[in-house]
Amino acid sequence: MTDHIVTTEKLCMTFRNSRMTTPVLFDIDLEIKSGEYVAIMGPSGCGKSTLMHILGLMLTPTSGRLILDSQDTVDLSPDKRAHLRRSKIGFVFQRFNLLPTLTAYQNIAIAERIRGHNLDGQIDRALASVDMTDKAQYKPGQLSIGQQQRIAVARAISHQPALVMADEPTGNLDSANSQRILQLFRDIHQQLGVTIIMITHSQTAAQQADRIIHITDGKIIHP
Amino acid sequence: MFVLAVSNLIHKKVRSLLSVLAVAIAITLLLVLVGLSHGTLNEVSQRMQSVEAEIVVRDRHFDLGSMSGGKLWEKEIPHLLDIKLDEQTKPSPADSSKTSTANISPPAIERVIPVFLGRMKLAGLSQNVFGVYPEDFPCFAGPRRLLEGVLFKDMDSPESAVKLFDTEAAQSDQSTDYIPLIIDQRLSRASGLHVGDSADFGVIPARIVGVVETGVAGRVFAPINMLRGANGISARTAHLFFIKAQKSLNTDQLQQLCEKIQQTTHRSAILVANYSQVLRDNFRNLTIFVNLVSVIALVICFLFIVVTIHTSVLERSREIAILHSLGASRSLILMQTIHESLIICSLGTLLGIVCAFGARWLIQTLQPLMTVQMRFSWLLIAAVIGLVGGILSALYPGYLALRHDPVETLSFE
Repeated sequence: MTDHIVTTEKLCMTFRNSRMTTPVLFDIDLEIKSGEYVAIMGPSGCGKSTLMHILGLMLTPTSGRLILDSQDTVDLSPDKRAHLRRSKIGFVFQRFNLLPTLTAYQNIAIAERIRGHNLDGQIDRALASVDMTDKAQYKPGQLSIGQQQRIAVARAISHQPALVMADEPTGNLDSANSQRILQLFRDIHQQLGVTIIMITHSQTAAQQADRIIHITDGKIIHP
Repeated sequence: MFVLAVSNLIHKKVRSLLSVLAVAIAITLLLVLVGLSHGTLNEVSQRMQSVEAEIVVRDRHFDLGSMSGGKLWEKEIPHLLDIKLDEQTKPSPADSSKTSTANISPPAIERVIPVFLGRMKLAGLSQNVFGVYPEDFPCFAGPRRLLEGVLFKDMDSPESAVKLFDTEAAQSDQSTDYIPLIIDQRLSRASGLHVGDSADFGVIPARIVGVVETGVAGRVFAPINMLRGANGISARTAHLFFIKAQKSLNTDQLQQLCEKIQQTTHRSAILVANYSQVLRDNFRNLTIFVNLVSVIALVICFLFIVVTIHTSVLERSREIAILHSLGASRSLILMQTIHESLIICSLGTLLGIVCAFGARWLIQTLQPLMTVQMRFSWLLIAAVIGLVGGILSALYPGYLALRHDPVETLSFE
């Protein structure tokens, strides 16, 4: 039994359409331990978001293996991948991606319903953990961007996933809100022991991770 | 997921409301058109079935829809009254060489009730006037009470008819007589006509002498001789013969009697019980037209829903991508679009049913002689059409939602 939550072997990704073929990732070998806090850094267009989408089971790699929590995922059906995604993974995006027509509470509740969980106390706990209990009935448009990202974090951790994937979580925030979100990630990591993979441009954000992985031109750069 | 569908619909209030209205209009149109066509046909056939007779005989060229065409002659009545049903004795296998013998039964027909049909305008609508012999009127009234006035007793003597249709007297306004009319309660309410009120039958005056409870075969009755005279006919003709058969005859024998009448008289004979079906066959084209209009209305309505949900899916590609990222399965995302469509169609169907009842009230208030029938089974069918249409309308937009590339959508940060 390995203690790696994510293992990739020779992972490659090439986007194809009728006119062109664009290779993005080349032979990515990666091992991330359970409970590890990893930052992935690299210049724009280097393939880090693509890697995150593959690790988050939103994309299927062109070749190679991806083992998530001891389960080889490459040949899984879309529904099984969706099942794994909703049970093991929580996403935090740069633009928060909250559902605009729902309240903060309902945004978390809908995620819980998709996961098939009982709501008892789980949503309240998630809201409390990001200090947003008093804003539960506000819609995203009524919240500041920092508050919206905190709700997005609450949604990502409400089901206590094994892995939280954050794509530039502070990219749209001012420095004060960035600090607050980063502190939130630190707390989540320490208190829940959840694995965090954070894609970032920010050196400050990356420095709080246990490990930084650099990607350039679709390849992991080993120092 | 239901809450998301509701919140999305509330978010686009006007569009949602228009969609609900589109479904409501289609369902109302469906119910009212079907209710009006079936209601009218059923009401007419029920009235005809109220006659205390089992068979209707008419000339083969007489059209039940327009109530016009070939005539019958009263001199045919004795032949009809002579018709007997043959009771065939089956030959026994041992005696197969012998021809079957027929035991002749008593006459099968107890009474023939001739009806001469005329037309006149009452309550703004052209009405069929049933010309009947006064002594036959109870066969039409049955258990229905005469609410006002008197029956035609002593009002149909050939003398009075002659006097009435002396055209010179009529034109010089020296005529003191009139055609007595008995109308049904519904026509009385619709027209406001009561006993003693006058009506015109061309240049010949007519007067309401009685009002009978609703449900009788004709809305207007007149003495047969007077009606013939008013139509310039002196011969003893009729348009319909209602046949009252012997009470002992069962349904099969009545059917045999119909066939026998057709064979002997070369007239068309149908069971009164089958009148509804015959009428329906007669108006088959109308029924097809009504059904076609209803189907077209429904198709247009559901295409509107497809466009609405399609637009909604296109507008919410990010939302669908978010659901993907949260781990929503394909069926869950499809259900999301189906939920929205179902909510629109359920509300639309409900509103459509309410509007159909409103339209029925309005039609029957403005045109009291029209019947819009509402059957529970039709409401149920409308509800099923609404729900099934809702699901089908969501399938294509739902399929498009499933084809969304969530990564591409979420990448447009």
